[in-house]
Amino acid sequence: MADNSSNPVAPIPKTTRPMSEALLNEKWDRCLSSMLIRSGLGLSFGIVFSVLLFKRRAWPAMVGLGFGAGRAWEECDNSFKRAAAPSKDGLRVIRP
Amino acid sequence: MLRASLLRARPALRPIAPAVRPQWRVAQRFYADDKKLSETVIPNPAPSVTPSNPSPAGTNAIPSSDVPRTPPTPQTTGRSAAVDQPATTPPTGPGTASVAPDPKAAPKPKKRRFRRFLFYMTLLSALGYAGGVWYSLVSDNFHDFFTEYIPFGEDAVGYFEEREFRKRFPGRAGQPRLHPQVRGENKVTIPGKHGLTSRVAEGGDFASKGPHVSAVADNTPAKSPTTSAQPKVSSQPSAKAAPKVPEPQKAEPKVEPKKETPAPATPTNATSHLDHLAVPAAGEPVVQDVVKIVNDIITAINADPSHGGKYTSALDKAKSELGKVVSDINMLKDNLNKSAEEKVRSVHTEFDTAAKELVRRLENEMQNQETHWKEEYENERERLSSSYREKLQAELDAAKKVYEQRLKNELLEQSIKLQKSFASSVRERVEAERDGRLGKLNELSSSVHELEKLTSEWNTVVDANLKTQHLVVAVEAVRSALDNQVIPKPFITELAALKEIANDDPVVSAAIASINPAAYQRGIPNAAQLIDRFRRVASEVRKASLLPEDAGVASHLASLAMSKVLFKKSGLAVGGDVEAVLARTEILLEEGDLDGAAREMNGLQGWAKVLSKDWLGECRRVLEVRQALDVIATEARLQSLLVD
Repeated sequence: MADNSSNPVAPIPKTTRPMSEALLNEKWDRCLSSMLIRSGLGLSFGIVFSVLLFKRRAWPAMVGLGFGAGRAWEECDNSFKRAAAPSKDGLRVIRP
Repeated sequence: MLRASLLRARPALRPIAPAVRPQWRVAQRFYADDKKLSETVIPNPAPSVTPSNPSPAGTNAIPSSDVPRTPPTPQTTGRSAAVDQPATTPPTGPGTASVAPDPKAAPKPKKRRFRRFLFYMTLLSALGYAGGVWYSLVSDNFHDFFTEYIPFGEDAVGYFEEREFRKRFPGRAGQPRLHPQVRGENKVTIPGKHGLTSRVAEGGDFASKGPHVSAVADNTPAKSPTTSAQPKVSSQPSAKAAPKVPEPQKAEPKVEPKKETPAPATPTNATSHLDHLAVPAAGEPVVQDVVKIVNDIITAINADPSHGGKYTSALDKAKSELGKVVSDINMLKDNLNKSAEEKVRSVHTEFDTAAKELVRRLENEMQNQETHWKEEYENERERLSSSYREKLQAELDAAKKVYEQRLKNELLEQSIKLQKSFASSVRERVEAERDGRLGKLNELSSSVHELEKLTSEWNTVVDANLKTQHLVVAVEAVRSALDNQVIPKPFITELAALKEIANDDPVVSAAIASINPAAYQRGIPNAAQLIDRFRRVASEVRKASLLPEDAGVASHLASLAMSKVLFKKSGLAVGGDVEAVLARTEILLEEGDLDGAAREMNGLQGWAKVLSKDWLGECRRVLEVRQALDVIATEARLQSLLVD
């Protein structure tokens, strides 16, 4: 009995799919991380451009940051909106 | 004819017949020989020499022959009679044959007519004879007449009958030809034919009746009635050659008429009349002829008136000599007769002895045969009797065996019958006895059976109760396992045990099938765990409670920020917003109404529903399991109720 109980214990936390209540939190995590990466990338590209082309001016770096942040925002917004549709998860699908 | 047939039919006499036949034949042969002798003797001296030889040897032969030739003319009637006789006589007698030539010489002028007559007569007689023979073969009456009265008719008819008989039975060739005369008739025929005694009487008859009796005589009276005596005389000695007794008798009548005839002549001639020759024993035909000739001569001399006793001496001498000769002849004849008789007697005796010998031999043979047959008969009889006795014995044995067997069988049958009857009676008694006690026993056994049935029924009831009990126990075990778990654990084993106990109950199996496989594979959370998880889900749902439809990042940020400042509702809040639903659900969960809580949570929309989806699924699984267990428990209860 102990074996039986111990064996199924393992598979329960093993679920790859995230719990439904943690769904929104996960999206938030991804949005933040992507914003950081893309804004950092845009910033770095702007700095390089300002150094190479615009003689160390500040605005090319800022524009680059803006592009990066805007891109991340757009992605995050899209993911939120797409996830709003009611998922079929948890319902039994009876195929004809 | 009838006798002959009778004789033929008598076979016993046949062997004897040959012995007798020769005897008769001898007699006949003797007669035939005699006849032939006379015939042969006479023709030699035939016309006139014979008479001259014996008698007028001493006298003149020539004148005697000459003389008669002249005188016969007036005596034509007598001669003719004598001539006529030969026409008939040739078959019968020799005496006339000798006489015949004499007259024939005389009637030479009438030769043609006479010859024709003779020819016709012979033809007629031959035809008549043939016809008689033929008709006698046809008619019995005529046969009797013909054989009795016609001379040689019997022989002729017998010959033809014999021929016919031979033709009909060729095997019996050795049969005697003249059997009718030979056999049994001997005693009758011999005297009739022989004529030693009976002819005497017939002779007398002939003398009196003359023309009536014999066919031979019939001719003579027609032609010359006067000389009828003479032909008879001639015929009779011819028929019987050696009769001694009749001769004198016949001679006397002959002599007497001759004496008579001259008697009328004597008165005319006074003294010179010569006596006729009278031979005392002139039976012999030759002597008769001689006497006749002499008498003729004497008559001629007597007739001649001029003889004057010239020839008396010579005639007397001739007479005496003739008498001597006649006596000599008679003596010779007597001697001959005696010798013949002796011969006949000796032959008779010989034949008698032979016959006796034959008869004796036959008798011996017959006796031998008889004894042989007797022995055979005895043997055969004994053999037959023994065989029959054996057969009888065998039959008796068989019959006895059969009878014994049958008796045994009957005994066996009776014993079987008795045994059967005994067995049946015993069975009846036993049945009668048994019926009393067996009835009670049957009652007892029936009651025992009833008891057994009852116990078996109760056993089934107990079994069913046990089953339901087990089912209930199993259901309780599953429930307790679900309730007492710290973390959700799979309960497949419990369900399997429950299914086994339910023994494939359709209701139980259907209830188990209604459970989601994920439930018993992963296990289900109990009530405390569900509430704990609900609290986590509720905080998340509250964060997204203010989100609009198709919310973007900004709205999410706003709802997140604004939800922190929202007032929490508690108790049975009224309203359809997320906060009220969550408060009601929490209350329901705390009350234990999982079903209601699930219904409340199911009413959420948008992101709130998405976030509470997992919890809701879990809630549903738990509810399914609970329902199934409830169904099984009620089924067990129903079964326990159904048993009674």
